[in-house]
Amino acid sequence: MNADPIVQIRDLTKLYRHGEIDVTALNCVSLDIAAGEFVALMGPSGSGKSTLLHIIAGVDRATSGQCIVQGTDVGTLNETELADWRNNHVGFVFQTFNLIPVLTAFENVELPLLLTSLSSSERRAHVEAALELVGLADRMRHLPRQLSGGQEQRVAIARALVTDPTLLVADEPTGNLDAHSAAEILALLQILNRTAGKTVILVTHDPKAAAYASRTLHLEKGELLNGSSQSSVVSSQ
Amino acid sequence: MTIPGFILRNAFRNKRRLMLTLLSVTLSLFLFTMLQTALRELTQPAQTDESALRVVARHKVSLGNVLPVKHQSRIERIPGVHTCMKLTWFGGIYKDPKDFFPQFAVDADKITDIFSEAQFDPQEMAAFLKDRAACVVGIKTMDRFGWKIGDKITLQGTIWPCDPQLTIRAVYRGGIDETNLFFHHEYMDELCGKPSLCGTFWIRAENAEAIPGLIQRIDETFANTDAETKTETERAFVLEFVSMIGNVKVLIGSICSVIVFTMILVTASTMSMAIRERSREIAILKAIGYDGWQIFSLILAESFGLALTGGVLGCFGAWFGTWLMFQHVNIAAVSNGMFIKFEVTPHIVVSGMLIAVVLGLVSCLAPAYSSIRMSVVTGLKELD
Ligand SMILES: Nc1ncnc2c1ncn2[C@@H]1O[C@H](COP(=O)(O)OP(=O)(O)O)[C@@H](O)[C@H]1O
Ligand SMILES: [Mg+2]
Repeated sequence: MNADPIVQIRDLTKLYRHGEIDVTALNCVSLDIAAGEFVALMGPSGSGKSTLLHIIAGVDRATSGQCIVQGTDVGTLNETELADWRNNHVGFVFQTFNLIPVLTAFENVELPLLLTSLSSSERRAHVEAALELVGLADRMRHLPRQLSGGQEQRVAIARALVTDPTLLVADEPTGNLDAHSAAEILALLQILNRTAGKTVILVTHDPKAAAYASRTLHLEKGELLNGSSQSSVVSSQ
Repeated sequence: MTIPGFILRNAFRNKRRLMLTLLSVTLSLFLFTMLQTALRELTQPAQTDESALRVVARHKVSLGNVLPVKHQSRIERIPGVHTCMKLTWFGGIYKDPKDFFPQFAVDADKITDIFSEAQFDPQEMAAFLKDRAACVVGIKTMDRFGWKIGDKITLQGTIWPCDPQLTIRAVYRGGIDETNLFFHHEYMDELCGKPSLCGTFWIRAENAEAIPGLIQRIDETFANTDAETKTETERAFVLEFVSMIGNVKVLIGSICSVIVFTMILVTASTMSMAIRERSREIAILKAIGYDGWQIFSLILAESFGLALTGGVLGCFGAWFGTWLMFQHVNIAAVSNGMFIKFEVTPHIVVSGMLIAVVLGLVSCLAPAYSSIRMSVVTGLKELD
């Protein structure tokens, strides 16, 4: 836990240019996240939560500033390197439509492994373990439309986990779920954080969801509110 | 699951759309193959080494004008000429106009010399030569009407005012066309009372090198007479005959282009629809680690799979279909002699398949390019 922070963000700024006007989605954000933390990113709609998450996860690029994840400056990778990096280091969970509708739960979870050199029996073992972990071992052959919303999100979490990534990022994963399913998903993320030691970054605007996290950061108009955000590792100790 | 399995799963996502697109590609390439075959049969009649030695002299004005028989002896004296035979299109009706087959009045004793690639039975030919009212018939026409040696047939003249009654004395096999009937020119002259006229002269050159000079010398010999000739190789002559049915080459060529173009439009629109409705999924694939080229490969493979399946079904379907059909159907009879054979050649199948390859590539390029370029963030916003 006292090792270097797994995510180091320095003066990160993201501008969107709309004709003559610049929209500042992120304004000089600096932040450290330690390995094993469960961080909730909160803030009103449009405050830049998703933008920050996307940059950390390597699907978007900052206008200026640095984002270093496990020693890699993500901004310096080209598109192909970045895709490969995501496959190895990031597990992604979105708000909705996470799964490929024509593939079964098993096959959806297997997708990121098709890019690796694992044999088909090794892949099977990983996929089954991941689905076991999210409690869906008995739903492997089901198509997404045969699953409930909560189950779909759990499959998405299994898919995010299956490559054993450094970071698990989730953008409002409970936004479309009923309270009960939402609680199950959040509890699952918490268990993964505590027992499997995954670093989790959760974007949410729901304080109840943020309560599952070990640290909560507040964004507003692209700026971090908590002064404590740069001093990492505080809450997990 | 494997990557090919994933591609298949994507392709079969919308089964009805897949089937309709596949059907349109298949039918287009089937039509393409058939039209190319028709074009080839019309413009490239089978050519043998022997036929390369033949030239044909006809009236300079048109094929419909006849030539004086007295030209024959002058042609025979021209150096390089091996044999010169009168050949006149009789164009008679046997029983019914739909029973069409080509009939020619010829110099009976020169047939084997001129059409040397065909196989004649020497004994039958001896019988044919002895009988002025005899004819020699190609095996296909014999089979078509169930004729036997010794049968008597009557041809009703349409161009020439006489109805020859002929006895079949000989059969020939092989050569460029097994449907012809040949009978004695003298017999026609006698019946029709026009002994001094004939349609064309078919000349066998002594060797292929002699042909260019020969053609020139023949036409020079009759220049400034009242019946000037136009001499050309057999192949050119047949091509000209074909052009009488219109500029088929241009016509078929433009139909083929329209078919191919339409097929590309249809397939491209299907592929772009299929890919556009998946843009969010593509963004998810990118988010979990697929790069632009891997996604391009998935899309390309799907598009290729569609195009090549259509190609195989269409081109090989045409190949097998025509082969199967003409085992049972006499194409020469059905087409009134326009087609002797209807053979889908490997060359045509390959060009059809090449079009399928191009189709597979072209139809997915635009949508694949835009989905590769689209950022994950933009893709995720779709439907969100
Ligand atoms: N593609 C874009 N073009 C222009 N502005 C954008 C784009 N994406 C996001 N923004 C702007 O950036 C800001 C932050 O957006 P986002 O990170 O999605 O907010 P949140 O996830 O907190 O709701 C918003 O003001 C939004 O309008
Ligand atoms: Mg958001």
